[in-house]
Amino acid sequence: MILLGEFALWVALPVSIWGIVLAFVGGHRKRGDLVLSAERSVYAVFFLLCLTSLGIILAFLGEHYEYRYVWGYSSRELETYFKVTGLWAGQRGSLVFWVLLLTLFSSIAVFQNRRRNREFMPSVVGVLLTITAFFLGVLLFADVNPFERLPFTPANGQGLNPQLQNYWMTIHPPTLYLGFTSFSVPFAFGIAALVTGKTDSRWLVVTRRWTLLSWFFLTNGIIFGMRWAYEELGWGGYWFWDPVENASLLPWLTATAFLHSVMIQEHRGMLKMWNLSLVSLTFLLTIFATFLTRSGLIESVHSFAQNTRIAYIFLAFLGAATFACLLLILWRKDDLRAERTIESFLSRESAFLMNNLILLGSAFAVLWGTLFPLISEGFAGTKVAVGPAFFNRVNIPIGLVLLALTGIGPVIAWRRATRRNLERNFLPPLLMAAAVVAGLMIAGMRGFYALATFAICGFVLTILATEFWKGTRARARIEGEGLGKAFLHLIARNRRRWGGYIVHVGIVLMFAGFAGASFHTEIDQSVEPGDQIRAASPYGHEYVLTYQGLSSSRTPNMWQWVALMDVSRDGRRLGTITAEQRIYSTADQPIREVGIRSTPLEDVYVILAGVEDFEGALRNESSAQGAVFQVLVRPLVGWIWYGGLVITLGSLIALWPGAGGPARRKVRATPASARLAGV
Amino acid sequence: MMILLGAVLVAAAVVLYVVQPVFSGERASLASLDEEFTEAEARRHLSLVALRDVEYDFATGKVDERDYRRLRDELGREALDALREVQRSRDQAEDAPPAKDAVADDLEREIAAYRAALRSGTLCDRCGSANVAEALFCATCGRQLESERGEEAAAARGR
Repeated sequence: MILLGEFALWVALPVSIWGIVLAFVGGHRKRGDLVLSAERSVYAVFFLLCLTSLGIILAFLGEHYEYRYVWGYSSRELETYFKVTGLWAGQRGSLVFWVLLLTLFSSIAVFQNRRRNREFMPSVVGVLLTITAFFLGVLLFADVNPFERLPFTPANGQGLNPQLQNYWMTIHPPTLYLGFTSFSVPFAFGIAALVTGKTDSRWLVVTRRWTLLSWFFLTNGIIFGMRWAYEELGWGGYWFWDPVENASLLPWLTATAFLHSVMIQEHRGMLKMWNLSLVSLTFLLTIFATFLTRSGLIESVHSFAQNTRIAYIFLAFLGAATFACLLLILWRKDDLRAERTIESFLSRESAFLMNNLILLGSAFAVLWGTLFPLISEGFAGTKVAVGPAFFNRVNIPIGLVLLALTGIGPVIAWRRATRRNLERNFLPPLLMAAAVVAGLMIAGMRGFYALATFAICGFVLTILATEFWKGTRARARIEGEGLGKAFLHLIARNRRRWGGYIVHVGIVLMFAGFAGASFHTEIDQSVEPGDQIRAASPYGHEYVLTYQGLSSSRTPNMWQWVALMDVSRDGRRLGTITAEQRIYSTADQPIREVGIRSTPLEDVYVILAGVEDFEGALRNESSAQGAVFQVLVRPLVGWIWYGGLVITLGSLIALWPGAGGPARRKVRATPASARLAGV
Repeated sequence: MMILLGAVLVAAAVVLYVVQPVFSGERASLASLDEEFTEAEARRHLSLVALRDVEYDFATGKVDERDYRRLRDELGREALDALREVQRSRDQAEDAPPAKDAVADDLEREIAAYRAALRSGTLCDRCGSANVAEALFCATCGRQLESERGEEAAAARGR
């Protein structure tokens, strides 16, 4: 079965190449039989990749350590669960997983459009299979074949990196991959629109839900990664501007820009070329993100291994794809002219355009900072890494302007905002922002960025709340419904709009969390059992953590030290927190499991930074209980995750299938009157 | 041996499945089918979505009356142009246009009705049918028409 999986991988490449040739030739010569054959190769490649993935999983489950990949990412002690997820634990398997998801989405797209949008399909199939063939080529010819054998059969594997041994490992990478790969579908439709010259509205209608789906996965993948970093890795934070984090943020930024600029094309017939460029850019950035993780060119906690051959292959593909996109867009540039121009700076078009420019500016800054080590190596000969300070300095102001736009965009008028429009819509929220600043300053809060963030949060929330209230009230009055019912119907009737606003609410909550977390306090202390650590909260009260002692244990897989702390606040006992250190037999570095006590107001975050006598503690000697702790009190961190949930809810509402707009009807050959009535 | 057999079977099945249309002449359609979304329909759909958003913006006082009218006319015109194009392509698709003038007249009348409905706000927001100016309920789907919309907007503007 494993051999069959390997065989399937080899068969998949020629089948996809066959499909590419037939799709483009068939599309060009209008040969339906060739196109049908190409579409069948999409399904066939998906089937073959399923066999390949099954082969890899079986190799893990059967402990076949003669395969280099299985040997490198598994061991006899590893739980079965992590053997299955071994499929995406390392470079080689995760590439297979990438193609598997890509072919899954390709198959869904082909199946969905088996009777629709037929003139797009040859190019769509051609583009999707080209991407597939590229990844298959990498797998087979760039020293990353997951089925590569060692010259001998080791008795045991090297084991899985302990940091990957937790449940986020099962969720975070696949979610991101789902986001990356599903964006290939809107990209393929964009290219098909360019190839066929039908660049108007149709490809937007066809790909809207795909784009949202991809954005949904990307967003969740990123938030899962943040959560993983926060609760598991013990780095004391949730975002580190690590190159690979940045790489996943880049397509998110451009995809967000695309989601918004699409609306300008829909409403005002502008920005056609911009939209096609954005969809191409986002796709290229998903490939770039995949490339950055795999090339090992830039040091990162995520990178697999240095493999320069892969780096060059990916760079060549990125270059060729960029060139092809540019060429196609230039070729169609006459069709892509705007139907109208922007009339006023104070208008929704211009707010959307600002949002786009800012998102792109942020993407550029992040890209620049990420690539800076390479650029500096190229020019100055040494790698100079750019630290979080750079990213924060650039992105915090950008983020704040964007945050403000999440409130301005929904209410500013199309075309041209009049003074009355501005006054009516913006005066109350501005007053609210001022009130927030005044309140916080009286409470003793200082710091420009934090005050600005909370002020803008107040501003945007007021706007959005007013929007929901006005909409609900109007609907309640018009339909004669109760407020609750009217509210639900309001959202159900225009899911994209209201789902989008709910996402905006989530973004506001997240920003409040970011701003709050910047006020964290930290204390490092070495303690013996019975000693107390006093951690001051930024709100003024104090947590007292009483160290109870260590308890240690040994399993074949790891050694484990668990520290127990009693937590009380203002003399009232709140409960216990445990923080752990583990040393896995397969890794030298100790792993920290953080203890977190989370409330909406603040998190108490305890890291067991060191144990004074590891060996003694392991024998549970009472004299060897000394430990070093790092205790952080982080205000409002929880709001980042609540915000994430709200974003998920909002995007699910926007994604939910069904009308939610003027009904899209099938038009049959009926008399003109009936057809018009069906508008 | 079993593996070899399996490999041969998989390869054969895949090749047969993929290549079969080339030999049997089974074809996939490459042109738009009758019941699908054409470019004109996509445009009509989008202008109607935009139209609905504009109406909402007006009802909640986000655009003033003059801009609302201009936008609504513009978008309504786009929807109608798209409609006309849909009609034209249908006519071309049917080889024999026996009563072409009659259809065109019919269409003109429908468009006029649609325009009037747009102007008086009696376009049904559930099914999109055009109704006469004084209609209280949609003639096609029976929905109560939003005759209060004007009042609501006026109330919003008054504040």
